[in-house]
Amino acid sequence: MFDLIHNLWLGMSVAVTPTNIGLVLIGSIVGTLIGVLPGIGSLATIAMLLPITFGLPPVGALIMLAGIYYGAQYGGSTTSILVNIPGESSSVVTCLDGHEMAKRGRAGPALAIAAIGSFFAGCVATVLVAALGAPLTGLALLFGPAEYFSLMCLGLIFAVVLAKGSVLKALTMILTGLLLSMVGSDLETGAERMTWGIPELSDGIGFVVVGMGVFGFGEILRNLENPGAREIVNAAVTGLMPTLPDLKAAAGAIGRGTVIGSLLGILPGGGAIIASFAAYTLEKRVSKTPQNFGRGAIEGVAAPESANNAAAQTSFIPLLTLGIPPNPVMALMVGAMTIHGIVPGPQVMTKQPELFWGMIASMWIGNLMLIVINLPLVGIWVRLLRVPYRHLFPMIVIFCCIGVYSLNNAPFDVSMTAIFGIVGYWLVKHDFEPAPMILGFVLGPLMEENLRRAMLIARGDATVFLTRPISATLLAIALFLLVLAVLPTLRAKRDEVFTE
Amino acid sequence: MSDATPSGDWSRSAAAQRQYNLKGGAVLAAVGLLLLVWSFFLQNPVPLAVHAAIVIFIAVGIAISAGLLRVLNPQDVYGGLALILLSLTAFVASNDLPGMRGFAFGPGTAPRLFAFALAALSLAVVVGGLVTSGPIVSSYKIRGVIFIIGSILSFAAAIRPLGLVIASFATMVICAAAAEDVKWKETLIVAAFVTAFCSVLFPYGLALPFQLWPRFW
Repeated sequence: MFDLIHNLWLGMSVAVTPTNIGLVLIGSIVGTLIGVLPGIGSLATIAMLLPITFGLPPVGALIMLAGIYYGAQYGGSTTSILVNIPGESSSVVTCLDGHEMAKRGRAGPALAIAAIGSFFAGCVATVLVAALGAPLTGLALLFGPAEYFSLMCLGLIFAVVLAKGSVLKALTMILTGLLLSMVGSDLETGAERMTWGIPELSDGIGFVVVGMGVFGFGEILRNLENPGAREIVNAAVTGLMPTLPDLKAAAGAIGRGTVIGSLLGILPGGGAIIASFAAYTLEKRVSKTPQNFGRGAIEGVAAPESANNAAAQTSFIPLLTLGIPPNPVMALMVGAMTIHGIVPGPQVMTKQPELFWGMIASMWIGNLMLIVINLPLVGIWVRLLRVPYRHLFPMIVIFCCIGVYSLNNAPFDVSMTAIFGIVGYWLVKHDFEPAPMILGFVLGPLMEENLRRAMLIARGDATVFLTRPISATLLAIALFLLVLAVLPTLRAKRDEVFTE
Repeated sequence: MSDATPSGDWSRSAAAQRQYNLKGGAVLAAVGLLLLVWSFFLQNPVPLAVHAAIVIFIAVGIAISAGLLRVLNPQDVYGGLALILLSLTAFVASNDLPGMRGFAFGPGTAPRLFAFALAALSLAVVVGGLVTSGPIVSSYKIRGVIFIIGSILSFAAAIRPLGLVIASFATMVICAAAAEDVKWKETLIVAAFVTAFCSVLFPYGLALPFQLWPRFW
């Protein structure tokens, strides 16, 4: 307990220097600004804004990134509520009741409750990360290569179960991601793999390149198909503050959402998405007036927003304790850390405590900033959303181009992004979900490394994954989930949740 | 991210669908043929199984093109076939990499492992698409693809020799043409404004190494 307070104090002392507060402030404003743009989720936002952190010292850069991350997330909810276009999958549920509230002229309270819920969840999850982070690093000692491999399998299966549409097609997407991640130099022998003799490919395909292409450009191509589809709430955003009954109704929802989100966020493989869905379903279940859901119930905004924020925060736990990025955004964070010479994993906490705790503290400050700066700025975001799409998308494209180019100063990367843009568009046309592909792409090299090591240690005996208890348990859970997902009864229910 | 499922159009006129299959099957067969030719130019001979798979793939492409195979779910059939093509390409591309040495993985083991699994699952997707019907592949917005992708590629081509100012202005203008309701006057103003903003923000504000003007300037 004393350690916890001491650590958080250390973090605070790093995070509240004027420079760092300024960085969080800029980060969250810019993050929201980009995140508000329809079709741009937190992944594309962070990828786009990564270059602006290059010139900063490591601590400052990570603190600013945390600000951008939360800003982007909050921006995504703003778009969900005002335009009914979810910025990313974790705010899909927010659209349901959030946009309904907005249509009834209650956009202000909806936005406010989303921010308040997120802030509360952020506070709880921050303490949770701080409290669990240290003991869980001990868990890393129990994990050999076989366990790591099985854990990543579990994470990928999670992503499959959570993807909408066919389970089989989601599995093929994972494998496509894994296969794409094999391009480049082999880790052990340095052999060029599937590089077609192109020197730029010997480092592999950049993660940002794939993410930006598929999610950024692919999304623009899709949006251009129905330019008139955006219906921005025309009612003026008045009366920002939720009323007392609103707060009373939302309080329980925020609490439950936070608990669900914190627990599910720890799981690798897109915890934030399932957390928001689970929280929404639970609220509907426990509510005395379930018929209000989908018609602008404030609980339907409060619960998923707190849940996905809590999950976003606790998803740092697998990254910091085991060094496994549990979702694409975290993978981007890993990339940002590596650029600044930090290798994520248990050693960060012991070797660079001020960086680790500074980042944790700055997440909390980032959440606070959002409440303070964003509620007054809602009017500006609304005006931004009124800018016609024909002017917005060239801006998005040029910022993406500059962002990708500045990562390595390589025009080749920009061209690759264009190719992945087409790939993303093609995937949507054939009803393949790109999210599992990205996760497979992120985890591919780590999986291969651990698979190879495990096999080498076991002298080629593949049963090692089943004879080691932790590994066997993880694989059993993965299999169980997969079976559940294909079972007809549950499938129907899952589809119901997604179509709702 | 995508709440609107790709348009639930299930039918297209029979003639149009035949046209689509004719083109789709032909494209698949042609790419398969290229792959086959390429596989003969490798240092190590490609295993017979891979060759056989490519030949079968070409045959399936031709069969679809000729209307011998009924495509009930075009999304799944073409999607699955393209992924099979991807895994076959991976097999050919990783052919010269050494595989297992004793019980140690070689550099080629994991790619071929993943490629094999991908091929198997994609085959299941294709078979599913041949026996149960599903929505058609809604038509592509070619205008968007040409101008957006063109603008990105022109950025890649122009950024080194011509510098940030020209590259970003040109990219914005080309990109704007992708919208059907493009308004050129507004577009030029927005492009000029954004270019000015970028030229100040990235090289000066963020101190990133961008060259603003052409080299000979």
